[in-house]
Amino acid sequence: MLIRTAWQGKIHFTILLLFSLQTFLSGCQIGMKESSCVRCHKGLEHVSKTHGDCVSCHGGKPLEEAKEKAHQGIFGIANPEYIGRWENGCATCHRYQFERMKSNLMYTAAGMIRNIQLTWEGEDGNSYTTHGEKQFDAAGKPFSPKPVAELDNLSGELYRKFCARCHVGAETTGVYSASHASGCAACHFPWNDTGTYQGTDQTMRGKAGHSASHIMTPLPDIQVCSRCHNRSGRIALSYQGLYDGNNGMVPTSNGEAGPVMVSGARNLTHITADVHFAAGMECIDCHTSRDLMGDGFAYLNMYLQTEISCEDCHGSAAEIPRYREIIRENDEAARESRSYKLPMQSGMRMIQTSKGRSYSNVFYSQGTIWLQGKRSGKLHKSKVITATPEHTVAGHERLECYSCHSRAVPQCYGCHTTYDTQQDGHDFIKGDYTPGSFSETEDYRMLYPFPLALNQRGRISPVTPGCQTFITVIEPDGNHSKTEYVSKFKGKQQLRFAPFYSHNTSKKALGCAECHSNPAFLGFGQHIVEGNSIKGTLICERSDNKPLDGFLTMRNGRVKSYSAITRENSRPLSGAEVKRTLAVNLCLPCHDKPKDPIYRKGVDYRALDDALHRRLLSGP
Amino acid sequence: MRLTMLFIAAFCLGLSSESAALHKGLACGSCHVQGGAASDPAAASGRAAGCIGCHSGHDRIFDHAMTTRSGEKTFVERSYAKVDSGFWEKNCTSCHVGGCLDCHGTRDGIAKPSVAVCQRCHKGYFTGWDYSGRAPREDNMRYQRGIAVNGETFLKMLPDVHYSSGMTCGTCHSMNSLAEGKTSSKTCRDCHKPDRKVIEHRITAHMERLECYACHSAWGAQEYGTFFLRFRDQRMKEDFDLKPGSSAEYLRSAYLKKQDAPPLGINSRARVSPIRPMFIAYYTDIMTARNNGPENILLTAEWRAYFPHTVQRGSVTCEGCHDNPARFLLEPESMRVYNLKKDGMGLESFWLQKGQRVINGSFMELARYQRMSGKSPTYKKAYLEKWKIFLNRVEDSSRH
Repeated sequence: MLIRTAWQGKIHFTILLLFSLQTFLSGCQIGMKESSCVRCHKGLEHVSKTHGDCVSCHGGKPLEEAKEKAHQGIFGIANPEYIGRWENGCATCHRYQFERMKSNLMYTAAGMIRNIQLTWEGEDGNSYTTHGEKQFDAAGKPFSPKPVAELDNLSGELYRKFCARCHVGAETTGVYSASHASGCAACHFPWNDTGTYQGTDQTMRGKAGHSASHIMTPLPDIQVCSRCHNRSGRIALSYQGLYDGNNGMVPTSNGEAGPVMVSGARNLTHITADVHFAAGMECIDCHTSRDLMGDGFAYLNMYLQTEISCEDCHGSAAEIPRYREIIRENDEAARESRSYKLPMQSGMRMIQTSKGRSYSNVFYSQGTIWLQGKRSGKLHKSKVITATPEHTVAGHERLECYSCHSRAVPQCYGCHTTYDTQQDGHDFIKGDYTPGSFSETEDYRMLYPFPLALNQRGRISPVTPGCQTFITVIEPDGNHSKTEYVSKFKGKQQLRFAPFYSHNTSKKALGCAECHSNPAFLGFGQHIVEGNSIKGTLICERSDNKPLDGFLTMRNGRVKSYSAITRENSRPLSGAEVKRTLAVNLCLPCHDKPKDPIYRKGVDYRALDDALHRRLLSGP
Repeated sequence: MRLTMLFIAAFCLGLSSESAALHKGLACGSCHVQGGAASDPAAASGRAAGCIGCHSGHDRIFDHAMTTRSGEKTFVERSYAKVDSGFWEKNCTSCHVGGCLDCHGTRDGIAKPSVAVCQRCHKGYFTGWDYSGRAPREDNMRYQRGIAVNGETFLKMLPDVHYSSGMTCGTCHSMNSLAEGKTSSKTCRDCHKPDRKVIEHRITAHMERLECYACHSAWGAQEYGTFFLRFRDQRMKEDFDLKPGSSAEYLRSAYLKKQDAPPLGINSRARVSPIRPMFIAYYTDIMTARNNGPENILLTAEWRAYFPHTVQRGSVTCEGCHDNPARFLLEPESMRVYNLKKDGMGLESFWLQKGQRVINGSFMELARYQRMSGKSPTYKKAYLEKWKIFLNRVEDSSRH
């Protein structure tokens, strides 16, 4: 209801007002003595040392006395319809960032839209983005995607009415703990849980739909990221050791649902946090500005835009991390780190991302890799694992680091979605209520164990349902044109899992037997082993012999997959791979340490039949 | 074996229709022997005076668990009654035997109880619901979906192999056994002789120290952290969006539900058996809590050894027990996922014995677990044989 109210009518005006007010104040204090901005907005925080004049960011007519006249021409920064605000407000100074942002997936949502299309109705030969602006693809070729408002099917409806609420191109207000501005301010102005201004400008204080203060945050903290990244993959939650598990609303907190509440009336309980979070690291300490704001090219998926990997700082089994020395004053790392406690300087050896670009906060010095907390200034020592025996297990070069080093992976099983055309739903792109409303129910959620499959890099990675959608469509006459329908993916009706790094990293890896002897990790779900069959125990409602929480079955020794792994070249493990993985159990009871030399080369399973093993095994 | 079970099932069904026909042939007075307040011949209040003329001794059912609910009552006395003396009346009175017809059909058609009849009470977290392959769903309305039977929704699980072959509850839980106050009339070994060709059956320790169903229970519903929230003002319930229960004053919820292979402990026969929380019970009086009073009070942290009715021919792998300390509530900190301390739950972990107890048995001692997981030469040999046989029968190819 709050959202609806906020969106109805007053949004444009409110947003304009807010932003203008906030930014005006700070700016006006410098050389604008006669400005009416500061006269009304007394006490508004100064935005930053480098941002001066109210008008240069907010527009308007500061020499006019009357409020209405003074506010004329204000840029509509927080309003999705006023894209022009970007060019006029921030881009005049921040052209480099602005141009990158226009292709950034957090703004275009092209990846989300395409993935929804792929898993619902399939691609239609067109590219769609939130606003349909011209872009350059990963190869540098220009192309003109269509605005998602023109995607006239269930995929488009789902994006516009569900997912569009959280993207940088649109403001979200009235949603507890998830309200945020649009545009640059989405990440660079601090919104609190209620989205209410709490600063010292009395004209604005207590007003909803504004950042908590007018002080800009050049370096966003975890809370900024959490306002959006608390659904779907929920990485911001898992990273901090929070879990929106079963919506049990317990334990209570002062008699209210608890212990921690977030948007969508969900309660969060605590789980073991990511080891990096526990060490005091924030999202931006790993993620570069190019990860978050793009690098100017339009990618199909976030995994293609993201340039960092675990190996950048920790090394791979075969290669130590790479670095490149700063030799120019205008090096991006030097420029980006200007406000850090320890700015990077010429001569420093900067660690490289997987795309071969410098981190602005990770450097090599005297045999050690150091990561500087961008906001905290704290130096973290990075352990390099290259050539250590436990990381050179033959065959494990195919594993993503986080296959073994994840403690928990959120998995939502059975997403039952109803699209009811008899009811109106809020289209966050069109800014209006249109026929068709979505609602969801769910079967089960869990954290551990988690299944593994091949991802787009051909690596074995955790996967999570993405998605197990069962769609019901209610037509205007009340008839159900689809009931619990499973859509086609790659030409076949099937559920889907998606490769996924949950951001719940643990220092201690999964034990060998934990993974090799538990077929749930291979995708069989919770199960029992019966002869040479593996039977799932949590069953799909639509089929008596398929597990809901997996994608493989084994009957009479034959492995069969029945769900797809999304993304290019991804797939479940094959029968031969399953067999090979389980065959390691022949070695594990005696050779139970990954450091054991037998694991340096491919395991010879026939070794059990040699004289030495026969003698050992025939003993008492 | 499968044929035998089918035969038993068919026999039970036959008996059921037979009993209805039998009663139709009787004179009214055969059953209706008393008038006045005691005119209901099958009521517990009259000790089923109209029935016991023929079914002699069956009125003893009224002295036992299903009627007296003594187990549940004593649990409430040592838990929720401490904070609300009326808890039992408010939350626990919907399921108890009040007469023969609760289970045996209607006055027009006396019948042996079907599985569905037993499941009128044995539903949700209670054993019997699992027999048909049903596990409780989460309590939030987001998860309350799908078919409901007896007003109870459920996750679809693998049904018990006996259920799949048509056997009813009565096959193992005869009327005579219930009347005698026993939980069953048959044990596994009355029908099944363990096949010595099965590697696990050749291990003496397994055969002497384990209940059959320690291995053969494929899954078990587990509720970790049962919460009863008391609402003196019912309007406050709206904020919680939980499944409405039978009580006007309370809502029930849980911290976590699972339905995988259940933890193991030692039962009253000193055998290794599945155990489950029953209950790790918390209480919040919403009004008190909103006035800065206590909340999330941990009343009991009790487990029960039990027999999940989820029997399958197979079992988990050897490591499912021998390399799985959490399954014996000996979880190492490095494997911890849920951070209960931070949530003020009064326990360090649900899978740590500290602060918890098994009400009808005990947890496995650490030293015993260490011995068991020590991987002796005998273990290794059997283990290798097991995996070799399995792997030899797995095909390299797969289908997509």
